[in-house]
Amino acid sequence: MKTTIAVLAATTALGAIIAIPGIAMIRTPDAGSPRTSFSAPADTMQDGTVLLASGDDEDNDEGTNDCDEDEGDDDAGTCAAGPNPAPAGTVAPPANGLFGNGAAPQVQVN
Amino acid sequence: MKTLFAALALTTALIAPGMALARPVTVTTTLNAYGGNGAYLAFYVTDAQGAYKGSLWMAGGKSKYYEHLSDWYRATGGNTAEINGITGASVGAGRALSITLDLADALFDAGYVLHVDAAVEDMRNSPSEIAVPLTTAGSGQANPGRRYIASLAYGM
Repeated sequence: MKTTIAVLAATTALGAIIAIPGIAMIRTPDAGSPRTSFSAPADTMQDGTVLLASGDDEDNDEGTNDCDEDEGDDDAGTCAAGPNPAPAGTVAPPANGLFGNGAAPQVQVN
Repeated sequence: MKTLFAALALTTALIAPGMALARPVTVTTTLNAYGGNGAYLAFYVTDAQGAYKGSLWMAGGKSKYYEHLSDWYRATGGNTAEINGITGASVGAGRALSITLDLADALFDAGYVLHVDAAVEDMRNSPSEIAVPLTTAGSGQANPGRRYIASLAYGM
């Protein structure tokens, strides 16, 4: 009985010693990756480095600006169209001769 | 007594022109239910010779879309300094925009024309959708638009 338990303990210890470095090799490159569940196995090389599945994306982004139709809705004037105008109430109306010096514009949408 | 009347006449003469220089004018613009996104609207004035005089209001705050307000853009080069302080949100289909502005009296009955350019995303541009002379007689009258604007009226 003692022999059986000793052998079992020895094989368990030996298995653990062999398995732990392997598990560590698999998990380390994926730490912090938001795409782990989808692409980590394909993106991980045997030496532990991570391949960018779509590395071209970052290169393309470097050449873009906030003028894209789907982006930059909150941009504050970085595109070729010039800065966005100051909203009503934040500055005085332009001195174009059309306005008096009285009340600020008031707007209402129904 | 004569001195009092003279002083009164003098102060009246000094104050009255200042009071008459400008008046509040409300421009109400009602859009059609054209079934698209919010409309960008440029309100501006040309003189009797058709030359751009200045802007009164811009509905829509993103300068990258102003090129679609083609007549206004051609006249101003898209210079947003023309509309600083007189810019608000775009106007949704079927909505009514009411703007009250303190406008110079000299704009009325002097050949000036109020223009409205309109543009809607993924739809056709509509330069000078409305061009209506600024006259005291025209106050309160509804003016129909061509595409996106159902009517425009100004009141004093």
